[in-house]
Amino acid sequence: MRIDEYIANHAKTSPENIALEEKDKSIPYGLLDETINTIASEINDFDNCKFALLAESGIEYIQALMAVYRSDNIAVPLPVELTESNIREILNSNQINNIIVTEQQYSRFGNAFFEGFTTVIYIPNDSSVKNLRKKIISENNNELLRLVMYTSGTTGTPKGVMLSDENLIANANSIIEVLNITPKDKAAQVISPHHAFGNSIINSQLIAGGSIKIGGLTFLESTFKLVESGVTIFYGVPSTYRILLKYPSSFQRSFKNVRLAASAGGAMEEEIIEKIKQLNDRIEIIPMYGQTEATARLSYLPSADLEKYPDTIGKPIPGVELDVVDDSKKPVASGVTGELIARGKNILIGYLNDEEATSKKIIDGWMYTGDLAQKLPNGYFKLLGRKDDLIKVADHRVNPREVEKYIGKQNEVSDVFVVPVNHEYLGNAISLMVIPNQNTEIETLHTFCRKNLPGFLCPLEIILIENLPLSKSGKISNRSIIEGYQNVKANM
Amino acid sequence: MGEIKEVMMAYLQNKSFMDSGTKLNDDDSLTMKGIIDSIGLIELIDFISEKYSIEIPEDLLTPENFDSINGIVNIIQKLTK
Repeated sequence: MRIDEYIANHAKTSPENIALEEKDKSIPYGLLDETINTIASEINDFDNCKFALLAESGIEYIQALMAVYRSDNIAVPLPVELTESNIREILNSNQINNIIVTEQQYSRFGNAFFEGFTTVIYIPNDSSVKNLRKKIISENNNELLRLVMYTSGTTGTPKGVMLSDENLIANANSIIEVLNITPKDKAAQVISPHHAFGNSIINSQLIAGGSIKIGGLTFLESTFKLVESGVTIFYGVPSTYRILLKYPSSFQRSFKNVRLAASAGGAMEEEIIEKIKQLNDRIEIIPMYGQTEATARLSYLPSADLEKYPDTIGKPIPGVELDVVDDSKKPVASGVTGELIARGKNILIGYLNDEEATSKKIIDGWMYTGDLAQKLPNGYFKLLGRKDDLIKVADHRVNPREVEKYIGKQNEVSDVFVVPVNHEYLGNAISLMVIPNQNTEIETLHTFCRKNLPGFLCPLEIILIENLPLSKSGKISNRSIIEGYQNVKANM
Repeated sequence: MGEIKEVMMAYLQNKSFMDSGTKLNDDDSLTMKGIIDSIGLIELIDFISEKYSIEIPEDLLTPENFDSINGIVNIIQKLTK
């Protein structure tokens, strides 16, 4: 089955039930299903072709995504929070001929941006659909491929995660079971639908026959109103909760009838959990762990165990197996640190156009997460950092070496180092340490970052240094960079 | 009016995705033009609260008040009166 077929079923059995809500619009399943058909009819004559989807979070995004599924094509959602140059890199590296674009994004990018596409489907604000240009060019894609999802920290060379119908449905059903989602549930979607977590909200709510209330996190007055208007499940990354908890009285009022606060994307600090509990002692809090490569989720911490095992990622979701292995890929005993690996129907097909990366990620049917972990005697798992140097910035998984390379290549500098630093709302933000050459200008570097990097990667500060003390092995690592940064700060 | 506007423009030049080449009209949407995102807005609100010693209640966190230079200048004037 495909996700959109569940919508068709709900449209038959309960056409009046609300599926999507945004501001003063609300769309019942019957109408949602019709609109999906209308958009799909524009592209039904394409067969297994990739369609880039350039749409902000909203009803139109979900309708267009489901129309690509229904027409048996492949969706490639473009993360709209990225800068134009980042988005171009995704498009250029994947030879995408077709695009579906909303009115708002069309005016943001302008006519010229769309000239390279042979098919352009335009969705105006009134949810109608127009094809501006259309030419069917056959493509040779993996037959199972339905969705290409980019990890939220994508920079430099973007890696597209290839997911199948089976991946999407298996993970959505596991999440429905863990969160006990019913047709009565109304979920708040205030995080980006273009990445794994936001995408999983869409899939699990719509399969379960529940509804989604779509909003944002920019103007918090409307965010609190949205939650207050009957939301039963709230989904957020830790920074979402940090931001909302800044206004405890609004939080208390609007979350009064929320039954469940689910989180993913990073560890929920005990402080956040405690604050939520203080403001609503009946709310169930379920932290979850996962990766884009696992469609979304891999494990969850049952709320009954929040206090007992707060520093763990809990147990695998139904249908997923987790294990910890040593460097020779042999399972280790509980209490021994190794790499966390995962198996299940939610594990990616592979990376788009990148067989080498795929062969390192999936070995003998197991996906290697890159996370270091220990198994506890009760079967729970505890994370202990990364095997590689990836860091979390604003709950996005970021490769600092890639960011350094990207900035270094295009600027007048001798060397650049990314330092993760604490941030009140983001958890981590970054600062840069730069070894200058004779042409380095700090202001130019700031401007470059603002123009070319997503907001959460814009450096809080840029510090010029003379040299960086290397670690004993002579390698650049997060540890040697953080030590260098602490030394510089101590002497400032 | 003039002074508050200058402070805001200087802040945006330093802290947002705006650079010296960006043309910004007083009524332009800061979020639509990509000058500020959700975290940027929260930091801007912290900055205003501190700079003008005012508290901004969350029911004022609307696009009318915070999505344009004009809106921001007006709300600061109202709250500092």
